[in-house]
Amino acid sequence: MARITIDDQSYEVEDGRTILQALDDLGLLMNGVDVPHYCWHPKLSIDGSCRLCQVEIEGFPKLQIACNTPVKDGMVIRTQTDRVQTAREGVMELLLVNHPLDCPICDQAGECKLQDYAYDYGVAHARTREPRRPAKKRVDLGPTIVFDQERCILCRRCVRFCREVPGTGELMVQGRGDRSVIETAPGQPLDNDYSMNVADICPVGALTTKDFRFKIRVWFLDDVPGVCTGCANGCNVHLGVASNRVYRYVPRRNDAVNETWMCDEGRLSYKTIGAADRLLEPQVRGADGRLVAAAFDAALEEAAARIRRAVEASGPGVVVALASPHATNEDLFTLRRLLEALGTSSAAGVAVRTGRADDLLIKPEKAANATGARALGFGDPGPVLDRIRGGGARVLIALGHDVLDPAFGATEELFRSLDTLILLDTHHSALERVAHVVLPARVAAEKVGTLTNHAGRVQRVEPAVEPAHLAYAEGETLLRLARALGLSLFDGRASEARSEPRASGGVGWDARTVSRAMGAAVPAFAGIDVDSVGDQGLPLRSPGA
Amino acid sequence: MGLEAPYVTGYLSEHFADAAFGTLDGYAAKGGYEAAKKALREMSPTQVVEEVKASGLQGRGGAGFPTGQKWSFMPAGTDKPKYLVCNADESEPGSFKDRILMERGPHQLLEGILIGAWATGAEKTFVYVRGEYAEPAREVQRAIDEAYAKGFLGEKVMGTKFRHDIVLMRGAGAYICGEETGLLESLEGKKGQPRKKPPFPAQYGAFGMPTTVNNVETFCHVPHILRRGAGWFKGIGTDKSPGNTIFGVSGHVVRPGLYELPLGTRLDALVFEHAGGVPGGRKVKGVIPGGMSMPILPAGMLDVPMANEFLRERKTMLGTGGVMVMDETTCMVRVGCVISYFFRDESCGQCTQCREGTGWMNRVLNRVERGAGNAGDLELLLDVAGKMEGATICAFSDAAAWPIQGLIRHFREDFEAHVRLGRCPFPESFAL
Repeated sequence: MARITIDDQSYEVEDGRTILQALDDLGLLMNGVDVPHYCWHPKLSIDGSCRLCQVEIEGFPKLQIACNTPVKDGMVIRTQTDRVQTAREGVMELLLVNHPLDCPICDQAGECKLQDYAYDYGVAHARTREPRRPAKKRVDLGPTIVFDQERCILCRRCVRFCREVPGTGELMVQGRGDRSVIETAPGQPLDNDYSMNVADICPVGALTTKDFRFKIRVWFLDDVPGVCTGCANGCNVHLGVASNRVYRYVPRRNDAVNETWMCDEGRLSYKTIGAADRLLEPQVRGADGRLVAAAFDAALEEAAARIRRAVEASGPGVVVALASPHATNEDLFTLRRLLEALGTSSAAGVAVRTGRADDLLIKPEKAANATGARALGFGDPGPVLDRIRGGGARVLIALGHDVLDPAFGATEELFRSLDTLILLDTHHSALERVAHVVLPARVAAEKVGTLTNHAGRVQRVEPAVEPAHLAYAEGETLLRLARALGLSLFDGRASEARSEPRASGGVGWDARTVSRAMGAAVPAFAGIDVDSVGDQGLPLRSPGA
Repeated sequence: MGLEAPYVTGYLSEHFADAAFGTLDGYAAKGGYEAAKKALREMSPTQVVEEVKASGLQGRGGAGFPTGQKWSFMPAGTDKPKYLVCNADESEPGSFKDRILMERGPHQLLEGILIGAWATGAEKTFVYVRGEYAEPAREVQRAIDEAYAKGFLGEKVMGTKFRHDIVLMRGAGAYICGEETGLLESLEGKKGQPRKKPPFPAQYGAFGMPTTVNNVETFCHVPHILRRGAGWFKGIGTDKSPGNTIFGVSGHVVRPGLYELPLGTRLDALVFEHAGGVPGGRKVKGVIPGGMSMPILPAGMLDVPMANEFLRERKTMLGTGGVMVMDETTCMVRVGCVISYFFRDESCGQCTQCREGTGWMNRVLNRVERGAGNAGDLELLLDVAGKMEGATICAFSDAAAWPIQGLIRHFREDFEAHVRLGRCPFPESFAL
């Protein structure tokens, strides 16, 4: 460890770190200690070229760049002196010499480091008289990214990202001096699974995503912390929300999960939230065999009646369940409790669809909470399907439709053999065709709860938007179903609190309270609840720990 | 065809008029390779380093760093291969000394490299030759082939256990590849862009291995130091800047060419006595003493010994010893346009100040030359130059700023006349 002094404050920092890295480790960079920087990025190699992060160090006659100067015990650093200020102003003026200053029509405006630092360190008027360097606009770099050469400040973060993170290296700097431009090789577009991250790390408006550009001004967006639900990695994101609509995901830093990155597929999965195939209405299968829209309570009553009839006729063993790997831990714990209250606790499983994976972020399980489901006792779906096949199961409570997949040997035909299929789901699927009661559910972006990623990290989601239709979190729907069946799931406590916002007519299933009940009941979740996981998550307790 | 042999010769160039000196046998006939044999057979690497340190030899590539000290930075007891690099990318406008050293004395260079390799424990030397230098590259490669055939390179150098290989590589024409870490990048097959420091080449050099980079001329002095002793070397030149150097004189002089003279030779003696002064009876206006990146001196300041300790007092430096003479017809604003265009063109473009500052200075100088400048442009130029100085990865940005500062320092009236008249007042000056 090295003891260093920054602006008269003493800090203990790790040896071998550079000044910017040490500030980042301390959580102080641009968060207490302002050392503006462009080319440096915590997760990329050091470039040392933008020269904006110059600081004064005792014993050095010249200013030094903080990004590449290793800390030494006893080092005395000043970041806010007149000399430093002058140097920053100098760099900012030179960066703007060839910049088009087109903020009014630039999509980055509002979240642009050039704009921010120009306000902090810029000069009020330009001293240039000649025309600015002409450069290409709207360069199509690949399927996801558009490039504006004029705005580029050549920090080369994007170049290093492609070389160092996906390892695809599509981008390079072509030419030299003030004719330098970011380029792809002919016939080799910027096209990799992580390409859109270059727009996040581009400090200016040079790289923008085709998906988001010109959709909305960023100052209209609220950033709601959440988790990407595209796969089991659970990349931390900010959901950009305006007018109850999610406009984008951008990665939120979590060094234990996704560092500062996310994959393109996950990034675009925000579109599923407001998708046209959302399940909007409760439905009940009528006497004519057709599904018809129903009031929520009527549909719930129908579900309860069907369960009651089956249990009365053949005992609780005829009721089985399939959990959704997309639902929260709290939803699934509620399902667990419902099954226990019915007396059929072993008859439950979870089906998880799998797909392509890599060794970076993309995980094979294409659901956000498969690990959580397993930790809550939902195992292989095979035994449940076998019981349906053998005729021992007459009622299925299905959360989600992932099970309807040849990979599980589960077909529409199989489910058609049931007396009752109660489906709680977020999106339309073929499973509806064989369901008797269909109840709309909320996606992760619409509710409070926790999700457990592939590595057992429990992470919080918060409501970013409110569904336009009437839908409850699966947990609440299940609690209502229990109530309709005359069952009590949470000793009265969890059902008393009511904090789910605008869940009109809710009986008061509260994810926070449920998560604490889960922590008390399930050793893997001991001490882990919606609040204690914080914004960076907590690992599941290991067995025996 | 190659360059004329120097008009004034010394220990480096005395045999350069003799074509046989370029061959291994011809070189050996003049005592060549004796110093290398002595070093490899009789001296320890430390003794060689100490001898070179004692000689006070300073690098001849422009920065003037003490060579022996540089060699001592190479880590001892590492299991990594160590490399030597001979910087033969001579690209400084006004400098053409390394070219003659390679064309006429390639074995002198190879002997210096061998001694340096022994001193630093390097197993391989990369000779990085400027792309435009076809003939020097051919001569050095021919000499390398001869040395291998003779057993002076390869498995057992001169019958000792020392192994050394020399690989010649040609650049592709970028000035910045003469900067030692830009050279290393280019050598590795990457775009020529200087590396940030730390790490320094002695820790992380060519292909990530400990590396020392020395200029062609620097190596060429080493055999002479070992043959005749550090004391002899120190007796030449000034106290602080020992030895000869080969000055390249160009521009408005009667005898442009190469002159091997002791460091400390006066600039006016070089220009007027050796190079014959300005032709046509015209007067000198200014002289760039050390290649284009060094600040100019006006006619009244030429009474200066050509050594850094004296040139620094006049806010300039020896650089590569490329002396460029300009007569009284010369428009110093046009000189500024040429210099700033060069640096704008050659900036690698990494660092903000250099990438944007070189272009900006060039644009301002162009408009002053056109007569479109205004009274504030001089201060603007000095301000931009000030922002470019001392704040970047390599010294290129300084090298781009200093000459413009020098021009304004000594020829302010030229600039002011352009602004006042709204045109260039030097109709006879060279055309842009």
